[in-house]
Amino acid sequence: MNTFTLKVIACNRVFYEGPCEILIYPAFDGQMAIMANHESITSCIDVGEIHFRTPDGVNHVAIVSDGLIKVDNNKADVFVYSAEKPEEIDKFRAEAALERAKDQLRQKQSIMEYNVSSASLARAMARLRGIEKFDIH
Amino acid sequence: MANAREIQNRIKSIKDTMKITKAMYMMSSMKLRKARQKREDTAPFFYGLQEQITSILCHFPDMQHLYFDNREKDKREKIKKKGYIVVTGDKGMAGAYNHNVIKEAVKQVENADDLHMYVVGEVGRHYFRSQGYPLDESFLFSANNPSIHRARVITERIVDLYKREELDEVYIVYTRMINSMREEVTFEQLLPLKTHEFIKQEMIKSAGVGMYADGELEHADDWFLIYPSPKRVLERIVYNYITGYMYGALVESSASEENCRMIAMQAATNNAESMLRELSIQYNRIRQAAITQEITEVIGGAKALRKKKKKKAMALSAMQK
Repeated sequence: MNTFTLKVIACNRVFYEGPCEILIYPAFDGQMAIMANHESITSCIDVGEIHFRTPDGVNHVAIVSDGLIKVDNNKADVFVYSAEKPEEIDKFRAEAALERAKDQLRQKQSIMEYNVSSASLARAMARLRGIEKFDIH
Repeated sequence: MANAREIQNRIKSIKDTMKITKAMYMMSSMKLRKARQKREDTAPFFYGLQEQITSILCHFPDMQHLYFDNREKDKREKIKKKGYIVVTGDKGMAGAYNHNVIKEAVKQVENADDLHMYVVGEVGRHYFRSQGYPLDESFLFSANNPSIHRARVITERIVDLYKREELDEVYIVYTRMINSMREEVTFEQLLPLKTHEFIKQEMIKSAGVGMYADGELEHADDWFLIYPSPKRVLERIVYNYITGYMYGALVESSASEENCRMIAMQAATNNAESMLRELSIQYNRIRQAAITQEITEVIGGAKALRKKKKKKAMALSAMQK
């Protein structure tokens, strides 16, 4: 299978850099897949999980926060604030964050605070979904 | 000249202070290591994102957008509401670190008519409050231990103010660490994004070290898809970019602060050591002088006694004769 170069960059590390056969990421209107020789595109990534298959046939999963993707010249760059493998996620921390976000959303807030809280709620939910789905803990 | 007890007290207090400076030195060197690690980790994200936004802007130079400096309203309005984000430290004892940032900020603020200050760190907050600058009192963020979450909250606030048009321009003043010996106060415009600035950067880059392949500029007009729409992608990208920039600025500042503090504490420890050396020489001299004096006194006393005895004996023998 043809491959392309994938680079997943989080704000605290380079999560993955190397060849990849297919990349699936959450866009705002559903999931999108990128394969080798995709046309040039720039797009947003939503909070959720990305899947990618490396040439050795292994499927990788990463829980990501929002960010952006750029495909050009058979090369895909993914920029996200955070990218974690499901087994790296701290379940208790995610649960605590979920509770906190829910609490905050129940209170009266300005629009700005509402945006912050709902974004953290989405991240916490994505993390917990990742854990449940891949049944790590 | 001070007496021996006074000098001894002084030596003791200097020793105590030295213990503190030494401990602070150790702490800042540890924190510096952490901050530097963070700085290295975030570099690919920070610079990569910058590159992305550059290339998008390069492909759409005519795009008009809320976040760009070619807005209609910019040409209309004369007086701009300027916001300044100043990143200082939470405490002093870091040499000229805080002073330099504050000086630069004051210089930049001077010619602004309608300004709002958003200060990170207690030292700067205290300064600007006491000098009567229009400081946003609810903007309370610590400079210590920067996190992406803090950067995100700050960004959300600033972009919100910008969108509601309470701010027209947003600037940031922070300290960049060039190497372990040198820091530099940096002044940057965050919002609106300067389109031509970015494009110029792109030109320089592609002409230079080969971050881009040759002929990149010729390809600049190549069409590519922005999905779902340029507006939507930009909206997201701007948040990402400013959060990334904020985070980078916080990390750089905290690394510089710890570095400055480390150097300052090292200097303080050295000073204390040389003072101790001098004082101990002085102390020894005084002690020696005191001993000598005492001995002289004892000898003198003994001599006087002996003389007296001799006189007495002489007088006695004369009487007997």
